[in-house]
Amino acid sequence: MRFSIPRYWRERHSHYRLYAKKCSKCGRVNYPPSNICRYCGSTELEDYYLDREKAKIISWTIIYPAPEGFEEQRPRIIALLETLETKTHIIAPLTDILPEEIKEELIVEPVLRRIKEDREAGLIHYATAYRPVIGSIGTNKQ
Amino acid sequence: MRPETSVGIIGWGSYIPRWRLPLSEIAKLWGFAPETPRGLNVVEKAVAGRDEDAVTMGWEAARNALLRAGIDPKEIGAVWFGTESKPYAVKPSATIIAEALGITPDTMATDLEFACRAGSEALRISIGAVASGLVKYALVIGSDTAQANPGDILEFTASSAATALVTGPAREAAAVFEASYTYVTDTPDFWRRAHQPYPLHGEGFTGEPAYFHHIVNAVKGLLEQTGLKVDDFDYAVFHQPNGKFPLAVAKRLGFPKEKVLPGLVTPYIGNSYNSSALIGLSRILDIAKPGQRILLAPFGSGAGSDAYSIVVTDKILEKQGKAPKVDDYINRKYLIDYATYAKFRGIITRIR
Repeated sequence: MRFSIPRYWRERHSHYRLYAKKCSKCGRVNYPPSNICRYCGSTELEDYYLDREKAKIISWTIIYPAPEGFEEQRPRIIALLETLETKTHIIAPLTDILPEEIKEELIVEPVLRRIKEDREAGLIHYATAYRPVIGSIGTNKQ
Repeated sequence: MRPETSVGIIGWGSYIPRWRLPLSEIAKLWGFAPETPRGLNVVEKAVAGRDEDAVTMGWEAARNALLRAGIDPKEIGAVWFGTESKPYAVKPSATIIAEALGITPDTMATDLEFACRAGSEALRISIGAVASGLVKYALVIGSDTAQANPGDILEFTASSAATALVTGPAREAAAVFEASYTYVTDTPDFWRRAHQPYPLHGEGFTGEPAYFHHIVNAVKGLLEQTGLKVDDFDYAVFHQPNGKFPLAVAKRLGFPKEKVLPGLVTPYIGNSYNSSALIGLSRILDIAKPGQRILLAPFGSGAGSDAYSIVVTDKILEKQGKAPKVDDYINRKYLIDYATYAKFRGIITRIR
């Protein structure tokens, strides 16, 4: 096995549902989750899942040299996003999009995808990727 | 009173991947007659991307069904996942979806297998579970990245899509069940042996003794049991392995084409196996009006068919706009070539 099984399992709620902590004092969302608000220092935080929010693209990068386990997803597109409701910044892969279709401010939504797999026989790692909301980008021919 | 009448569909939803392979690509590569796709009445097939599988597609269909259901996911007492393209041979897919939707841990969850009708068997089981009071709501999913031996006629239609239904108490439902009926025999029309990458089939044997015999008998059983007639139904949805069989079986049972076409999705996306008939139902629920009656008849090789009578309620109108519709996904498409399809579906062998 190349990838840690306990780590994948321990982080499953962050991977599947973007588990975060929302500060009861200042209202900011701490992602990754933290027990102390990194914006105001409060220790009053509640569970929050960012998978309920759409987001917009702020910036992105296209990665051609793929790390181990990602060869079949070359090139990978990683974006800096801002969620629409709580304005939380998040870095996540984009999917169902071609490099030439990406633009600033494009609205994307979280979906569950196969992010990597541990060779032929090991675990499949599922996690959140973002894709353009349905109907927001076009087709190539009729 | 039949147990079915206390149970209904609280939410429904589907998912189709963005990528489409024009069937002309398959005909060209493998040397089929150019008119082959027209003979099947299918133009393009939906292809899951490299980061998609039956679990991820089932997740999105289930998310859409939950949006329409408008319930707390924790109230779901069973997650039943019907597929013949499980990402793991051993390790449940249902638990991954249940965890990712916030349904765990107080729930049943398992995967079912019966070729293309595992999802439909799950639906019938869920009717029993809800009617008995064992669970309040059940989540039933049919999802497949259908496999076919490259160059086989089956490759033209084997596609990818998913559909999910939340079943629950009839008083909350967008559509209620009136009756259901199942007809199964041991008929070897299509199979995949252990460790084999692709299924095989009995060519013409898949039609008459398999598809037609089982669907006709399931529907006849339902009609006899209920006293309903063909004219009582506004829509009829059958398993759709290609674009021709559903129209042929409808004709044999006396249903006019106009009642079948609204639920006929295969011409646009191919045969999505466990989602094949269910996505047709999903598309009809997207447009159905209160009071309309729907016949649903999925089929699975091996072989069996279920027939359901479903009546739409007033509650459907408030739910139709709460999630993307089947047509939104049909229209979201990007055409790919055979090489891209081969990479996406893992047909190219690599050392990993």
